[in-house]
Amino acid sequence: MRWSRIAPQLALTPALVVTAVAFVGSIGWTAYLSLTRSRRLPEYEIDWSEWGRQYDRLFRDAGWEISLRNLIVLGLGSALAIVFGFVLAALIDKEKRGESLFRTVFLYPLAVSLIVTGAAWRWILNPTLGAQSFLRGLGWDVDFNWLAQGDTAMYAIILASVWQSAGFYMALMLAGLKGINSEIWSAAKLDGVPMWRVYLEIIIPMMKFTFITCAILLSLGVIKAYDVVVAMTNGGPGQSTWVPAYFTINALSAKSNLGYASAAAVMMLAITFVIFIPLVALTAWQQRKREAV
Amino acid sequence: MSQFSVSERAAASGAMSQTRAPYFVRKKKGITPRTIAILVFLSICALFFCVPLYVVVVTSFKTMDQIREGAIFSLPTIWTLEAWDHAWNQACSGIKCEGLKVGFWNSVFILFPSLILSISLAMVTGFALALWNVRWAGAFLFLLFICAFVPFQIIMYPLIVMTTTTKIYGTLWAVAVIHAVLAMPVLTLIFRNYYKDIPTEIMSAAMMDSGSFWRIFFEIIVPMSGNILIVVLILQITSIWNDYLIGVTFGGLSGQPMTVNLANLITISTGTTNYAHNMAAALLTAIPPLVVYFLVGKLFVQGVTAGAIKG
Repeated sequence: MRWSRIAPQLALTPALVVTAVAFVGSIGWTAYLSLTRSRRLPEYEIDWSEWGRQYDRLFRDAGWEISLRNLIVLGLGSALAIVFGFVLAALIDKEKRGESLFRTVFLYPLAVSLIVTGAAWRWILNPTLGAQSFLRGLGWDVDFNWLAQGDTAMYAIILASVWQSAGFYMALMLAGLKGINSEIWSAAKLDGVPMWRVYLEIIIPMMKFTFITCAILLSLGVIKAYDVVVAMTNGGPGQSTWVPAYFTINALSAKSNLGYASAAAVMMLAITFVIFIPLVALTAWQQRKREAV
Repeated sequence: MSQFSVSERAAASGAMSQTRAPYFVRKKKGITPRTIAILVFLSICALFFCVPLYVVVVTSFKTMDQIREGAIFSLPTIWTLEAWDHAWNQACSGIKCEGLKVGFWNSVFILFPSLILSISLAMVTGFALALWNVRWAGAFLFLLFICAFVPFQIIMYPLIVMTTTTKIYGTLWAVAVIHAVLAMPVLTLIFRNYYKDIPTEIMSAAMMDSGSFWRIFFEIIVPMSGNILIVVLILQITSIWNDYLIGVTFGGLSGQPMTVNLANLITISTGTTNYAHNMAAALLTAIPPLVVYFLVGKLFVQGVTAGAIKG
């Protein structure tokens, strides 16, 4: 019997070690480094009179400000993927014809690497050979040269991310819609309530849980967004498509400034938790409410 | 009215609504204008999702001369495999020009050890947390849950130092191990959620049978894990294959996966870009996960949603 108590604890040791070293310890290590003057190599001395110098510099850095602003732009833009996903799911669910075909088509981009997604969209958005020249050839005076211009390059990144992830939100929403009792539709139909009001006043409130899940996943994806930026613009033109994930890695690898990169990484963690704790608390609360009934 | 009670009632009245079906189930209606509108809209959206794939495929078969004409959507006038051959055998990544095949094999050799490592670790951990009375299991689960959301950047430098000290930095092993480490929290939560529904009767019977931890694991739990294993496998295969950041950070010069080669290829700004080569390279990188997706589409959805919802 004694053995049976020791064995599971032994089995848990590797995972415990990984968690303690790779996650908890590493977070502490990086947080500590963010207080030092480390540049290329780590320095472990903290000058307590100016322990916040890396953060001071960070908040005054125009590149960081751009990164934060782009994070918000990307978040708002990517949220279109949730809206789009919901519309697609609602239409597919309403009109069962071709359901599996549409699902397959809308979801396949998710199976593909963001680097590949970036390569494809980069090519389509090529100003001289891509879609722009094709549409101009048809006589439409369109401007698709988003990637080369600082104020539009973020749109290209949003376009690629929405294209990649909308199908995923569609799949989550479709699962949520299927959980809704068909009697609700019939009742609404009998009462002659218009469809859009059924969705707005009954279906969407019922799917709160699905929406919150989507919001959590979306915000995590946005904070982690790195691959798509590298593949689409590599941060350019200038610094116009920097995001915190890009900023941090750039500070470490291109500028080899360890202390500075650590401060940016700590801020990324802080942003994650600021967004994530209320959303998770909301989910837990919703779930408890649901189970209580 | 809460969703829970509604679905509960739906289940309860399942048989009843079956007999009442003619009334309430969607009628087998003819094609109404609204049906047509919906189908047209969905088809336009489907087109939007298919266009990039179409463009990538046709470009990869074109000659550079035709690409310069600028008709991005047209079919190749001369179908050629030159770009595919070039991408596979000669494409340059950095200073070396050995093609994507190097990265392809790197990705393969990263994938297998990483799959074995991450899945076995998460299975054992999930089993121990779900079915054994470990006093601190709750706290540990909460910690794992938090870790699942931690951005990679905050643990990146310490992990680089650790892999350098253990002399695996810059090899395939570093990439494989780091994948396993980063996936551990999420995978553990998935396995734990699956195992916690195993009836206690089975566990007590197994215990009575003087089953030790490992005997129960190998003789009962592993055989019962088929479904969740497939789901986790799909999740891991696609996420490891499609990763860029870990590969570029830990792969050094010799351990880079295919995605890193492709990124180098598409982001170089010197000289004229050969889009046929780039698109062939992108397709080569995309084919393995796409094959998984088209073979097991339904399970793929389960896989990504299981990974997404995180316990």
